[in-house]
Amino acid sequence: MRKEYITDKEAICIIIIFTIGSTLILGIGGEAKNDRWISGIIGLVLALPVILVYARIQTIFQGQDLFDICILLMGKIGGRIIGGIYVWYAFHLGAMVIRNFGEFVNVVVMPETPMFILMLTIGLVAILTVRSGVEVIGRICAYLLPILFFIIIVVQLLAIPEMRFNHIKPVLSNSFSVIAEGAYSTFSFPFAESVVFLGVLYSLKTKKSAYRAYYYGVLLAGLIIITITIRNIAVLGPLGTSLYFPSHVAVSRISVGEFLQRIEVTVAFVFAVAALIKISICLFVAAKGISKICNLYDYRSIVIQLGLIMTYFAQFIYKDIMKMVEWAFKTYPYYAFPFQVVLPMVIWIISEIKKNKLTSQKQVTGSKG
Amino acid sequence: MCILAFFIYAGLAIYEFVPLYKEKRWGDFAANAVLWTISLTIVMLLCFNVDLPSPQIPIQKLISSILGKQA
Repeated sequence: MRKEYITDKEAICIIIIFTIGSTLILGIGGEAKNDRWISGIIGLVLALPVILVYARIQTIFQGQDLFDICILLMGKIGGRIIGGIYVWYAFHLGAMVIRNFGEFVNVVVMPETPMFILMLTIGLVAILTVRSGVEVIGRICAYLLPILFFIIIVVQLLAIPEMRFNHIKPVLSNSFSVIAEGAYSTFSFPFAESVVFLGVLYSLKTKKSAYRAYYYGVLLAGLIIITITIRNIAVLGPLGTSLYFPSHVAVSRISVGEFLQRIEVTVAFVFAVAALIKISICLFVAAKGISKICNLYDYRSIVIQLGLIMTYFAQFIYKDIMKMVEWAFKTYPYYAFPFQVVLPMVIWIISEIKKNKLTSQKQVTGSKG
Repeated sequence: MCILAFFIYAGLAIYEFVPLYKEKRWGDFAANAVLWTISLTIVMLLCFNVDLPSPQIPIQKLISSILGKQA
């Protein structure tokens, strides 16, 4: 099977779109109300050292994905178990994003259409995208990101007349524990979700690329998310916390001279693109993981079935939209902690210990060969 | 609906299994067959409106029991 490569620029674009993914419509910060933007900043700062660990792991084992690394470090059985855990995480995350998309479109745009059809539609597009390979995903992101940036900036500018900055005040009115909880929620959803990229960034060309991709990607995505959060607070005020899709409602308030109205469709477009990329990445990593664990020739042979199972899973994962939001902000940060922090730390520590041994083994094998 | 799903899955089986069988990629064939069976089973259960259990509920209970509060 031919090895796939993506450029640094494409990797950054994928990480930005992946990170803004479902956060764009669900928002960040949990219960922190008008201090959600502070929670966002703290969450981003908290995520930086963790991302450094992800980048370091990828740099030590350049050209190898998470599943190869696990097998290399923990042996065939241990490595496959850890790999299996990450397959589950990627699969579950993909299903959650499919459901987010389904709920959003069903509530906002197509209430008469069965949600399953909406989810199946994006699931099928994601299957096609993943079958095309990571290079195609990279190129799609590189083309679409400027368009998304343009839309986000224009909408942001048009929203200025609707903003009331007194909504942000009083700053730090919530207790520290509420802000800290919001920060932790923001750390795990979306910033530390980039752990999934340990299964993607093996396709980078140079050793330094992983650092660049992770840092530029997450920082730019963080900047966008925090700006959008400030806009939502300034436009919606206290109402923002009680809405399921605050960005959509905030943008729907924009009305320029009574002829430029109903531009909330732009939010739907940005979200559809971001959700598609996020689902595709999750499906790609899950398929890649299964192919490595089961020692398959090509991950593409299982993508269709895995993508379909992911879509069906999204159908019965939550009972309703209330459970979805409750899970996203209250349970998910704790659920994701082992995948995002504990296991990467263990992998990193073992890789630092075994690095020299593995390198010398490689050199011996190389000189014999 | 079930019949439609069944025919779609039969089509998918032909589309995916035949090339793998011809190329003698038995590992891929077996993994695909397992996933195809799981996928078909779930879609049939969904067609019959069977209430499938969500893994979120036990995860939520586990986290609540570990943290000692409502997660």
